[in-house]
Amino acid sequence: MLVVLAGFAAFIAYRVQAVLNYRWSWAPIPNYLLRWDPERGWVINLLLQGLLTTLRLSLWSMLLAACFGTVIGVLRSSVQLLPRLIGGTYVELMRNTPPLVLIFVGYFFVSSQIMPLLGIDAMLRNTSPAMRAAIELGFGDPRLLKNFLSAAIVLALFEGAYIAEILRAGIASVERGQWDAAAALGLSRWRGLRLVVLPQALTRMVPPLCGQVISLIKDSAVVSLISIQDLTFMANDVAVSSNLVFETWLTASAMYFVVCLALSLGFHRLERRLDR
Amino acid sequence: MDRRTFLQTATAASLLGVARPSHAATLIDEIKSRGVLRAGLSTFVPWAMRDKTGALIGYELDVGKRLGADLGVKYEPMPTAWDGIIPALLAGQFDVIIGGMTVTPKRLESVDFTEAYSFTGVAMVASKKVAPGLSTIEAFNRPDITIVVRRGTAAVTVAQQILPNATLRQFDDDAQALQELKNANAAAWITSTPKPAFAAIDNPDTLYLPFDKIIAPQRDAMAVRKGETATLAVLNEWIAARKADGFLQDRFHFWFEQRSWLSQVQA
Repeated sequence: MLVVLAGFAAFIAYRVQAVLNYRWSWAPIPNYLLRWDPERGWVINLLLQGLLTTLRLSLWSMLLAACFGTVIGVLRSSVQLLPRLIGGTYVELMRNTPPLVLIFVGYFFVSSQIMPLLGIDAMLRNTSPAMRAAIELGFGDPRLLKNFLSAAIVLALFEGAYIAEILRAGIASVERGQWDAAAALGLSRWRGLRLVVLPQALTRMVPPLCGQVISLIKDSAVVSLISIQDLTFMANDVAVSSNLVFETWLTASAMYFVVCLALSLGFHRLERRLDR
Repeated sequence: MDRRTFLQTATAASLLGVARPSHAATLIDEIKSRGVLRAGLSTFVPWAMRDKTGALIGYELDVGKRLGADLGVKYEPMPTAWDGIIPALLAGQFDVIIGGMTVTPKRLESVDFTEAYSFTGVAMVASKKVAPGLSTIEAFNRPDITIVVRRGTAAVTVAQQILPNATLRQFDDDAQALQELKNANAAAWITSTPKPAFAAIDNPDTLYLPFDKIIAPQRDAMAVRKGETATLAVLNEWIAARKADGFLQDRFHFWFEQRSWLSQVQA
């Protein structure tokens, strides 16, 4: 199988070389990952900075999306009509609009309406150096914090709809008898959900949730349009500036691939442990 | 309706409800009291690009730094995706666009422009393989001629007006457009000076300049939000002064008319 794949890759590479009039030059690429600074030693350069931003953004928007998704998913599973309608509207609205438009409109709405209310600027001015360092570690350059948070919120709103659906499907997959058993034990519907149904639903939700994390990392590339300096944004900058179009984009793709593959393998082990 | 217009309309709609802070203090006062001039720009060789250390360099950076120094504030470049640069300005992400933006009637509907501060135009480079030996612009006005351009740039408008019969293909950035031309999938690439000349120098075997002159002169100016008259006046005054003392011409010559800076960008 591997031999066949390698042969196929070699064939594609040969065809690309034959069709493209392109001078390959991989030598400058490592410099865009790590570079030697005479004063500070080895420092990360644009592409790794971009990857860090992508990872930070994915982490925070995943946590936020989990919160949104849980609330909406529980609303979607309610027996009452109104919560179901609210949840349903949200999910359908988010899932049936192009992410690009959502990100674009949502971002400018969040950054011009919600961000001023949070008073980030004033907070940043009054923080201690230690706090600033912590912010820098968690969110990247404090000067771009507002942009970063807006993007994380918008991505989370979008991904939250999918998580809500996974949660609803998980709850729906638990047999009717479990609800009846919970009711028979005198548990209210809410306690029955929390103590009996959710624990069973959660194990069934793990595989689709893992898939969602991986697709979030790849979806996060759309934020490059709203000037978050993630891996895609940086790769574009490097490609345009250095004229190494294919080398840069292939490197960026490989970076996405490595991260997603590592997560995928990690989740696989997690699933196996949960199955036992 | 192209994507750009749609996104801008959508954004404008989302901003309609925004109660903008009242302009008791003008933008220029705000910049001075903040001590920082935030300027939006997009990667566009040689206007603004990344050097090997990842730092931003280019004509716009020199202009911005000098403008900041003359105003007594710190210049802070804000790299932005080109497709979203006007909405980002309108949403207050930065104070001014100093990014080689060409004045167009469409853009004038949403922002105000200063006087021009660069000396560019739109020109063409052609493929020796697909369209050999052409020497006039009229020769490219045929349906079997494919022209590549970067989406949302002035080159699109120019190509549509001057070459209505040619087939137009739009790309998100210049690198892709140039690659398509080098792959012999297009006859010519229309873009801002100096890129056509640089491309022909870099690829003497595959590309050539069909004619030496620019197709259309271009007015590149700084953009601010509508109604910032006081700020506009300050910027115009600065541009006039820096043209008079030759600073802008000198920087333009350094970035556009020779390439000693190339070693900063490429290995």
